[in-house]
Amino acid sequence: MKKGDIIIISAVAAAFVLSIVLLISFSKQGSRVVIKQDNKIIYNKSINANETVDTGTNTVVIKDGIVYMSDATCKNQVCVNTGKISKKGESIVCLPNKVIVEIE
Amino acid sequence: MSAKQGNCGNRINIKSITLYALFVAVCLIIGYLESLLSISLIAVAPGVKLGLSNAIALTLICRGDTKGAWAVNITRICLSALLFGSPISFLFSLAGGVASTAVACILSKLKSVSAIGISIAGGAVHNIFQCVAATVFVGVGVVYYLPALLIFGALCGAFCGVLVKLVLNKIKINGIF
Repeated sequence: MKKGDIIIISAVAAAFVLSIVLLISFSKQGSRVVIKQDNKIIYNKSINANETVDTGTNTVVIKDGIVYMSDATCKNQVCVNTGKISKKGESIVCLPNKVIVEIE
Repeated sequence: MSAKQGNCGNRINIKSITLYALFVAVCLIIGYLESLLSISLIAVAPGVKLGLSNAIALTLICRGDTKGAWAVNITRICLSALLFGSPISFLFSLAGGVASTAVACILSKLKSVSAIGISIAGGAVHNIFQCVAATVFVGVGVVYYLPALLIFGALCGAFCGVLVKLVLNKIKINGIF
């Protein structure tokens, strides 16, 4: 380990802290859930609508202001593992099925 | 006579071409094995890869061969996109690859930075630029993934850096290439 390495490590750590602080300060509770499939909007409702949306390939659950993908036919399951979202600008993406869930 | 001289003049060139080709082949195999490994990692952090193939370009950079590093990295990115990827994954890895190679080349000129520092910076920058590319294609929401990407990039970079340092020490002893 040399001097420059320590500077780089501290710079990356600073960038990490800064990005978290910026993201937290800019995040707002979302109001609407938009689901797109093949770039077409197939669902646009309030985040407080307690509903389960089936796009044919993916199942999106909207419950108590929290949105998550409960089921997907794709192989990698990245969208299911993304977890729960509720803040403005957050999204769940399923690239194989071309499904995007966004909060606005 | 002239043919013999020609051969001698080309020897270094042929040697480096063969070495680079070998490196690209090793990169591709490592990249493939890694993609199998990252499936098991997906539950912890979706899409995170160790980036071991970058260790090979980094070895070249630390030996002072920045041109070779560019050649190996760009070829590797194009070939792995053709073999295992899609157009979008190609653009993602190109954005990350070009940015991290550039940063690594610049940092390698500084004497106070070792392979570990170069690798950490490269890993972090790679993930930042992939995130930027992702915001263009997927949407601004991807930014929320940036802190996690930064940390994983730095950790994987540190791992690769330590690996490269060990490799460099071995090369010094054995005098390979």
